[in-house]
Amino acid sequence: MTSLTQFTTANKLRLIWSVVTMRLKILSRYPGFRLLDIIMPTFIAAMPILLGQAIGGGAVRAAQNFQENTGTANYVAYLLIGSNVFMMVSGTMWNVGYWLRREAETGTLEALYLAPTGRGAILAGIALYGNLRMTFNFILAFTLGAIVFGVSPLQGDILLALIFLFIGLIPLFGIALIYGAIILRIKEANALIRLAQWGASLLMGLFFPIAIFPGWLRLIALAFPPTWMNNGVRASLLGVGFFFEQWYFDLAMLGAFCILVPLLGYRLFIRTERGVQRDAGVGEF
Amino acid sequence: MEPIIKIRGLTKIYQSKQRVGLFRSRTKEVVALQDVDLDIFPGESFGLLGPNGAGKTTLIKCLTTLLLPTRGTAWLNGHQLERAENAIRASIGCMLMGERGLYWKLTGRENLDFFGALYQIPPDARQAQADQIIARLNLDEIIDRAVETYSSGQKMKLAFAKALLNAAPILILDEPTNTLDLTSARELRAVVRELNRQGRTVVYTTHVMSEAEELCDRVAIVDRGQVIALGTLAELKASLNREGVTKVEGVIPEAAFRAARALDGVMRAALSSKDGMQELVVVSPNPRALLPQLIRALMDNGATLEQIAPTEVTLEDVFIAKTGRTLAEDTREK
Repeated sequence: MTSLTQFTTANKLRLIWSVVTMRLKILSRYPGFRLLDIIMPTFIAAMPILLGQAIGGGAVRAAQNFQENTGTANYVAYLLIGSNVFMMVSGTMWNVGYWLRREAETGTLEALYLAPTGRGAILAGIALYGNLRMTFNFILAFTLGAIVFGVSPLQGDILLALIFLFIGLIPLFGIALIYGAIILRIKEANALIRLAQWGASLLMGLFFPIAIFPGWLRLIALAFPPTWMNNGVRASLLGVGFFFEQWYFDLAMLGAFCILVPLLGYRLFIRTERGVQRDAGVGEF
Repeated sequence: MEPIIKIRGLTKIYQSKQRVGLFRSRTKEVVALQDVDLDIFPGESFGLLGPNGAGKTTLIKCLTTLLLPTRGTAWLNGHQLERAENAIRASIGCMLMGERGLYWKLTGRENLDFFGALYQIPPDARQAQADQIIARLNLDEIIDRAVETYSSGQKMKLAFAKALLNAAPILILDEPTNTLDLTSARELRAVVRELNRQGRTVVYTTHVMSEAEELCDRVAIVDRGQVIALGTLAELKASLNREGVTKVEGVIPEAAFRAARALDGVMRAALSSKDGMQELVVVSPNPRALLPQLIRALMDNGATLEQIAPTEVTLEDVFIAKTGRTLAEDTREK
């Protein structure tokens, strides 16, 4: 007697796609979440935009001051990009880093681990879902913010900005996996992810250029992939300047992160997962 | 015949943390399984019996690769634990966590389709298998509704359907009738029997002895992490042939129980409660000769007796004879 399972590449690819469609179906049943995804970046950006206008003495003077510090007068788009990239970082942390914890809470974790499927395929599905959702949200939310604050969303090199966005998400998944591994061990998922997302917002320069950091903090920020992603998008759309002057050097740096960080994250995750299986077992996460 | 499940020296020791004061904790070792050896043969319907906390679920979790054993190993369908996890998972259909283990925001059909993909079943076979299971378990009316709208019993049925998706040669069911009403539980057992007749090996854990008596060819009784009895139902009951069982129902205070247990000729005695009444089970070599003394000991110590009779041996009696406890007792180490 044999089971219906067939270990083929086609079935593995179908499985990855099934994870994506399953997540999209679940998301479609939470309309409030979808709305939140789109409007939150505008709210996040609205506070510093309005504060900046109040302190800077009106929109024109605020823009002049901002240009001196950042290289662009379009502070509205600058902050909207920052808040949208932050939403991507935050979303990835919750989607991937919190993945196991969420499955444990809904009771589906053991069911996933009973399937004859390597964790890599499920994680690939979750990462792909995150990529699609985050990129789609970015486009919609950025457009909405631009309309609300009266700036043009169609400016600069949009294609290059999208490349930075898409490539930048890959090391972000690696970071989320590292967080996932830590969560497996110390289990305080909520506190850890909140700390991570707000730490990330500071390091990646959510509302400001990292040039204003002291040297040591700037080095730490530069070792953090979302900083390159954020700046890459801003530089592509607003011309604030790439870290290495040329876009392809910045992209190459992000590419290096793409290889190193997910590998490190995956290894750490699998190792920790094995340890948990040895100690208390899946389901006790 | 080569066993389809072969377990050798399987041991699982948990490190359990106990709080000491506000900030400190102490680590304690809990032996959940100890040197378990077991062979289950193809086509068998095998029962794992024991009270809560006996180690049944730990054993099942080790066999299904959810938990790594501390020592020992097992082979399922020819694949060894830790060496071929995916091959083992492909060889088993599982129902372990009852009505949990489903995505409640998805419909029943979407759940089956997703888990079918997760088991790497090709789309056509997945759909055909799902349709067949839906029809067999009479799920047609609810299958296109979100699982969150299901009753507890309907969720259990869907979880059972999920376990059948990959048509695996081994079916592992951990207390599958929990939360099911009597009719649904009977239907589920009928399907299990049917699958077993078709050649599926069934491993069925329960603490309900009547279920095991109805379904299982052979039974292992597990207590405190060890297999304390193993055999066919007839063999296990025959092991008590030289002994007899007397059941007493009524209001039986602790003092009366102690007095009964202390009588000469009482080999084991166990007391359990249900609906404000107690049931005393006494195992002795000669129940009829013991009866007058037993009644006196109970009455003298404040018991009110409703019914008293020597009875036919059940699996529960076998458990009591082996352990001196009833199955209703929770033996989990805290």
